[in-house]
Amino acid sequence: MSSHPGPDRARLRAALQAIAGLDGVLTEPDELLVYESDGLTIFRATADAVVFPRSAEEVAACVRLANAEGLPFVARGAGTGLAGGCLPSEGGLVIALTRMARILEVDYANQVAVVEPGLVNLHLSQALAPQGFYYAPDPSSQFACTIGGNVANNSGGPHTLKYGVTTNHVLGLEVVLPDGEIVWLGGKVRDPQGYDLVGLFVGSEGTFGIVTKVVVRIVRRPSAVRTLLAVFDRLDQASGAVTAITARGLTPAALEMIDQITIQAVEDAFGAGYPRDAAAALLIELDGLDTGLDEEAEHVSDACRESGAREVRRARTDAERQLLWKGRKQAFGAYGRVAPAYMVMDGVIPRTRLPEVLRSIERIATAHALRIGNVFHAGDGNLHPNILYDPRKPGEEQRVLAAGAEIMHACVELGGSISGEHGIGLEKRDFMPWIFSDADLATMAAVKAVFNPTGRCNPGKMFPTKKSCAPGEIAYQPHPLEASGLIQRL
Amino acid sequence: MTTSLLGSLAEIVGPAHCLGGTDRAPFVVDGRTPCGVVLPSSADEVARVVTTAAAAGVPVIPWGGGTQMSRGTPPPDGALVVALRRLNRVVEYEPGDLTATVEAGMTIEALQATLGTRGQWFPLDPPMPEAATLGGVLASNAAGPRRHGYGTARDLVIGLRVVAADGQLVRAGGKVVKNVAGYDLVKLYIGSHGTLGILVDVTLKLRPRPEAEGACWATFTSLAAAAAAAAALAGSELGPVVLTLLDERAAATGARGSALPAAGGPALLAAFDGLGRTVAWQGDEAARRLRAAGARTVDWLEPAGVARALEVVREPRRLVANPVALATASVLPRQVGPYIEAAHATARAAGFEAAAIAHAGHGIVTLLLTPGETPRPAVVTAGVLAEWRAAARAHEGHLVVEWAPLGVREVCPVWDPPGAGLALMKGLKARLDPQGVLNPGRFVGGI
Repeated sequence: MSSHPGPDRARLRAALQAIAGLDGVLTEPDELLVYESDGLTIFRATADAVVFPRSAEEVAACVRLANAEGLPFVARGAGTGLAGGCLPSEGGLVIALTRMARILEVDYANQVAVVEPGLVNLHLSQALAPQGFYYAPDPSSQFACTIGGNVANNSGGPHTLKYGVTTNHVLGLEVVLPDGEIVWLGGKVRDPQGYDLVGLFVGSEGTFGIVTKVVVRIVRRPSAVRTLLAVFDRLDQASGAVTAITARGLTPAALEMIDQITIQAVEDAFGAGYPRDAAAALLIELDGLDTGLDEEAEHVSDACRESGAREVRRARTDAERQLLWKGRKQAFGAYGRVAPAYMVMDGVIPRTRLPEVLRSIERIATAHALRIGNVFHAGDGNLHPNILYDPRKPGEEQRVLAAGAEIMHACVELGGSISGEHGIGLEKRDFMPWIFSDADLATMAAVKAVFNPTGRCNPGKMFPTKKSCAPGEIAYQPHPLEASGLIQRL
Repeated sequence: MTTSLLGSLAEIVGPAHCLGGTDRAPFVVDGRTPCGVVLPSSADEVARVVTTAAAAGVPVIPWGGGTQMSRGTPPPDGALVVALRRLNRVVEYEPGDLTATVEAGMTIEALQATLGTRGQWFPLDPPMPEAATLGGVLASNAAGPRRHGYGTARDLVIGLRVVAADGQLVRAGGKVVKNVAGYDLVKLYIGSHGTLGILVDVTLKLRPRPEAEGACWATFTSLAAAAAAAAALAGSELGPVVLTLLDERAAATGARGSALPAAGGPALLAAFDGLGRTVAWQGDEAARRLRAAGARTVDWLEPAGVARALEVVREPRRLVANPVALATASVLPRQVGPYIEAAHATARAAGFEAAAIAHAGHGIVTLLLTPGETPRPAVVTAGVLAEWRAAARAHEGHLVVEWAPLGVREVCPVWDPPGAGLALMKGLKARLDPQGVLNPGRFVGGI
């Protein structure tokens, strides 16, 4: 909902078209609908305009225009985010990077590539495949999400257990700062001098400026892989197996857990080969040199059996492997067979606390009369409880938000965090004080003020909302729980 | 230092941990003597010390093991050294989580000993682990040969706490390995050289100790051949965890240290770890490829030999007997060979000798300058360093002068001329340490 007086729409459109071309601007209400939310459809906000620049200079011109007009602005990649991070929650300008999707340079000898932010994550790996290379961070949405979005959120994925997250693969960034200046941070060469501005920028959720080029590390594809599916009759056996695998000193490339609700939805949707009657399954991948992988797979299987696995299967062909992964990576979509809507949660706990947190999630689900499907990165304690619901039923959305907040709280109480991968965005800004002190938040605010002194770049994200409003700061927006009367700000 | 400041500090840390007089001698840097040295025992004491010093207008120099104190423009005279070595406890360690939180004054060696009792380790191997502390290592972003396989501190640290310039305790990150809540301030504090906060505790990602370790020590007749072999291994599927290139002089030291036959030329150390069966295969295959790439000799080192070899390559300062200066350049990995050869030529032309050791896969080259036949004045030394820097910058790289006499550093600055990010860096410093309390003037751009 825009809290600024609407700019003269025609004038704004003309000014943006002068930058991005006649076909590079959307201002009609029906055109703007698509850009009202990201993957977390429970939150919606309308922009005044969406613009599609084609170069860093055009991005900078859009930013300067937004500043001149006093309009807030926010960058958007594919809009697959799950925390409301690219919503124009204060109205203003959405700067969509989808027209900047080129691979500018690949240097296999030095194992780096330079890409534009709108490039789809999977497209990069596909382009590198003929030379036996790939880009390692693999969010489950990688067939759609963009590198720029990955940078903004410091995205993870199943294989980040072994290979690290986005920040471990980004060496340099060209960015448009919120004042419109174009600046290079870092570059192809390691250990730049001074403060790690690249590391600081990654994961800043679009509040420090807009990325226009990314220098990424590219790596050799592992030569071989073994993919196992371990099947359990009890959820706590599966979580016990996660600890057992770690205790044996094994480092799988991926270690994912899928519960029964999710398995059944996935089997209905894709027939991925998961056993419908299992309480839980672990999808485990080992990769590296072929020598030794069978031995590792044996160790992992032993750990699973010792934890009570009733069966440990191995994918025998690449087709079988792809199908197992399809079941995992497209699990969220499969929920559509079980409920009209779902809210994806994202929390982290130390992996030894996994059994406890799963029991808490079950308790919370029952208490709120909701079904929750769990499919997540068990290996690094990164949970994705998916709350299934029907938005048409009165009161259901409020119960979903309340259950979600309780799950986040449970994670914090177990020594975890409120976001493993999806970011804080709009969804969790009011949970930040659960894990950060006033001094911590003040330090972050001070850092933000260096990049974004007017606060105009992606306002309303990441930080707790305030009741009072100083010039340049965001206007107060009640949290949905508050708007629904479930909680009250004291 | 005024009596009242001394008195206040003694009240905070106890008189036994407040040093003056000749006890300050080990803490003199570049002839700059601190007004005093305090050794707090807790984060709370650190905070109170910082607040007290700031109120008295006295800048603070954080001190870990003192192993990297030459890295920077000289510190201010009369500052207060805050030595962290009494903050050396394990705060939290759950082996099942593969994470540990330890105080910043703990040495790398003490940390590894603790983790080793549970079959785990922290895969960062900076120089002088017996003296270097976690805080100092992170503040200077020090690393070692295993960076090739395991990354550097920014890839291995998941949380930390600092005492900020205003005495507040600030937490960055958390205790879990996946965490994107809030800004990644862990990345900001790592490598900040104590200018934004004093590290008091750090939370680390650990690894299980590998079942097996081994390394190929391959000697070559030319640097170009050694560099090409390194590049081939780096681009291969073999996955070494160490890939260190040594020029002839560095290799001679390496061979002596590892009780290997004299190299007679440049050498490459390629180490592997993991399952026994895999490491054996990697060793055989690497040796085969290295010979095919023109290696004169290839020796296979078992774990004890690997440890000895890594001890040598981890300590660049000890590679030659009488270094005149030491600098680290970052270049593109494929530039490493030509860069080292050019560096040798530059040194010789100015009447010096040089030695070089490089983490070839990352393009990190450490160069040592040693005397030639006749001593050269400081300005000539500085000229060599400046040319080394120019050569790195010609290919998007940079160079830091890790160690050189003060007279040399007055002519050739420690840090590169700052780049486009300077305004942002100065902005961060201005916001987080407006009074310039923490390590002022030592860092890039005069920060």
